[in-house]
Amino acid sequence: MSRVFISSASALPVSEYWTKSLADLMTDVASKAIDAANGVKIDKIIVGNMMSGYANHQEHLGALLASSLGMRGVEAMKVEAACGSGGAAVHEGYLSVKSGEYENVLVVGVEKMKDMDTPKTTKALAMAESSDFTQAVGASFISLNALLMRLYMNSYNVEEELMDYFPVIAHKNAVTSPHAQYRKAVTVEDVKRSQVIADPIRLLSSAPSGDGAAAVVLSAKEGPVEILSSEIATNDLIVAQREEPLRFLATEFAFKRAMQKSGINVQDIDFMEVHDAFPVVASLALEAMGISKRGKAPQDAADGRFNMGSELPILTFGGLKARGHPVGATGAYQIAEAFMQLAGTAGQNQVKGAKLGLTHNVGGVDTTAVIHVLRRVE
Amino acid sequence: MNVIPIAYWRNRKVYTRMIGTKCKDCGAEFFPPVRVCKKCGSRNLEEKEMPKNGSLLAYTKLSEPAQEFKEYAPIYLGLIRLDNGVNVISMIADADEEKLKAGARVQATVRKWTEDGKGGLVYYGYKFRVLQ
Ligand SMILES: [Zn+2]
Repeated sequence: MSRVFISSASALPVSEYWTKSLADLMTDVASKAIDAANGVKIDKIIVGNMMSGYANHQEHLGALLASSLGMRGVEAMKVEAACGSGGAAVHEGYLSVKSGEYENVLVVGVEKMKDMDTPKTTKALAMAESSDFTQAVGASFISLNALLMRLYMNSYNVEEELMDYFPVIAHKNAVTSPHAQYRKAVTVEDVKRSQVIADPIRLLSSAPSGDGAAAVVLSAKEGPVEILSSEIATNDLIVAQREEPLRFLATEFAFKRAMQKSGINVQDIDFMEVHDAFPVVASLALEAMGISKRGKAPQDAADGRFNMGSELPILTFGGLKARGHPVGATGAYQIAEAFMQLAGTAGQNQVKGAKLGLTHNVGGVDTTAVIHVLRRVE
Repeated sequence: MNVIPIAYWRNRKVYTRMIGTKCKDCGAEFFPPVRVCKKCGSRNLEEKEMPKNGSLLAYTKLSEPAQEFKEYAPIYLGLIRLDNGVNVISMIADADEEKLKAGARVQATVRKWTEDGKGGLVYYGYKFRVLQ
């Protein structure tokens, strides 16, 4: 089996691309990544995307991108795992290279959400959970997270204010992040004063929608960064059917396997890109990985444990909250960001001396968890 | 069309009578129905009507619901623990925020869920209301 390296990465600023199509976004970002990999011959294309059929009336994204890149004959397909699609696409690319069957694989995560109005976007996101039994009763994706946040606050006696430190960290890091959607710092007061979307989740405590695409070229040939492990696990699709709703079992399983297979110690991880769709998701993920004790992640965030320059920086380019969350692209953004950190090209957002990084991408409410462990090649 | 009529028809027992499943091997109960027992892995399950009373664990007020519910916004949703220990997420009927407290006793009732456009089919199903 081959080792798997990342030759190059590219990320478009998350934005509202009114003049660009889905194919334009993918082609732009893929071209940059291929150029940065010295124009290597691509053997396979994998596209991570959640909702193009519903949002853009377009499926068959593998062939769409291959065709747009003028790569007649190349193998290509789309991978879907809700908001975890980008991470799942990288996982499939990793396996392709690792198998020894492919030398260079292009992975692109893309989502173009701004073709839809808000109620349609709400519907599209709800498709991560059961159509028959969750969407049918009016529960949207954000409302599931709101119920979880309320349960978390009640169970662990945590004030809303404490949870607001996650968006504060994200926005602070986004100020100098070239591809972030919202490059503006916010305070706990700002979050607290923002509009309630699904009580207790507010506008500034939920990841925004946007258009975006990120790409990486994976290779069997040594490059600046190596993927040490790539793991996916699942939890019950219907959140109400989980015996312990405050346990992120998919994250627990994927993390445990990722640690075993990469053979590293948790303490050696220099930074983490955590799936901070909402503060409660970031909290439960950090707790599932044993980084924080149960019910204590918000306090750790407030204490500065996850800030840049501290023991474990998270959301180093703004996370989902401030870099933006073009859902099916997010996992690919995280990998591109980890690449920049480990290749030492993160500019003002550089985690000094970063050698090991972890990305955590989720589909649904911890329904699918995708974890990657990456290292700098010395 | 935002609701799939045939899917609604297929699930009508679940929506109007809260029919779930019970495992014949280990006794675990599930709602909505499952094909394979999540406790013991058995495929030997039978239909089981859920109790209609329970307690509210948490609620949320949703100002921007999905398109089939947008004309009813804001809607209230509750995470409810039924008296058999099964959790259910449901819209809350006649919501009064004063009474929506964790631990409040609630009961299922059948109400209108949504209507498929003007003159379209009307869909009904369970909603919970707070008991006095
Ligand atoms: Zn059983």
